[in-house]
Amino acid sequence: MSAPRTIVEYLDQLRTALRGADPALIQDALYDAEEHLRAELAEQPDRSEAQMLEHVVGSYGAPDEVADIYRDQEIKIQRVIRPPPPPKRRSLPGRFFGVAADPRAYTALFYMLLSMTTGIFYFTWAVTGLSLSAGLSVLIIGLPFIILFFGSVRVLSLVEGRLVETMLGMRMPRRPIYPHQDMTLMQRIGRMFTDVHTWTALCYMLLMLPLGIVYFTVAVTLLSVSAALIATPLAMAFQRDWFDGLYVNHQIMVDWGFGAHQPGWGDVLAMFVVGILLVFATLHLARAMGRMHGHIAKHMLVPRALA
Amino acid sequence: MDDSASQLKKFQKELSSGTVSLVLLAVLGKSQQPMYGYQIAKSLEEMGEGVLAGKQSALYPVLRNLEAAGLLASEVEPSVSGPPRRYYRITGQGRDMLREWIAAWNATRDSVDQVLQGGV
Repeated sequence: MSAPRTIVEYLDQLRTALRGADPALIQDALYDAEEHLRAELAEQPDRSEAQMLEHVVGSYGAPDEVADIYRDQEIKIQRVIRPPPPPKRRSLPGRFFGVAADPRAYTALFYMLLSMTTGIFYFTWAVTGLSLSAGLSVLIIGLPFIILFFGSVRVLSLVEGRLVETMLGMRMPRRPIYPHQDMTLMQRIGRMFTDVHTWTALCYMLLMLPLGIVYFTVAVTLLSVSAALIATPLAMAFQRDWFDGLYVNHQIMVDWGFGAHQPGWGDVLAMFVVGILLVFATLHLARAMGRMHGHIAKHMLVPRALA
Repeated sequence: MDDSASQLKKFQKELSSGTVSLVLLAVLGKSQQPMYGYQIAKSLEEMGEGVLAGKQSALYPVLRNLEAAGLLASEVEPSVSGPPRRYYRITGQGRDMLREWIAAWNATRDSVDQVLQGGV
């Protein structure tokens, strides 16, 4: 690899050196490097870019050294910050009930409940912004409005990335894409519209409404059904006649497949056990859905060009 | 010679991996105003090779890491001469942590010194 002579060359080499790493990590690494290089350049304006880079390769590190440092750091940071992985359980019941000790399952469940609110907000924001952009485009304030709207989409995609990383554990960028210095304002604006990333982020915001509704409904339904099942023994103990007055003909019948009968303690206890099992199944489902959604978010919110 | 040099490098890297967090937290704890990454790197550079055996690029992930852990807070501000800069400052939680880390560091340094001076 030849020594980089411009900042753009340096960043290209760094991107190449990081090929195959997590796209979110690449975005962070490029942002840091660009900030440092531009600061170095601004510090001593009388030095040429090539001279500055020559110096920087010594102090900040050559692109492949930097790539190694970031790869190395990523492993350490994950070790420090992430909750320790739950001990591996071999047995089938151990694996099934072990989910209760995994904090990721609870945060994913919470994300499912939260996603309807954020989904409605993203959808409203995207639809309002798009239609106002289209409507105002004939007026003079149309262009500034469109630019502002697309800027807000980028900010929101970064915010959603933070949510996804904290709750679902998918590594997402922590820094925005560094604005290109050598472009004119018009070029920068043009890039906003030709960048596929902007459009996939917009699609994600639209998609979040149906997804959010599904996540929320699934989570609430499963949680309330299991709560109801778990609470049946309580209902039985306190107010036996509740079970008689529930239906039109003043009788509630239970049929496990051996003929219908009035519910007794046996049935209620069976329901209780089913309820408990359902809670664990729900946690498994939440964790799996969280993992799936993490991948969706990563594909739509993190620029592919970096990978 | 190459072999021992790379071994030394690895040792320095291992040593610095823990101390960099402490040093960064201490620098920001002492500083009156928020500092940005480049500024911190330069001030460490002036102190010499010992503090930071590795490259300055290693600072940034640590800063981000400390921020994610709530020990630092940051904000981006535009600058007159150059690109926008991310300024870091220490949080209350960071100060508490710094005190504990300093105590841990002092204990480690004292006992290592004692061993090296043949006190055992």
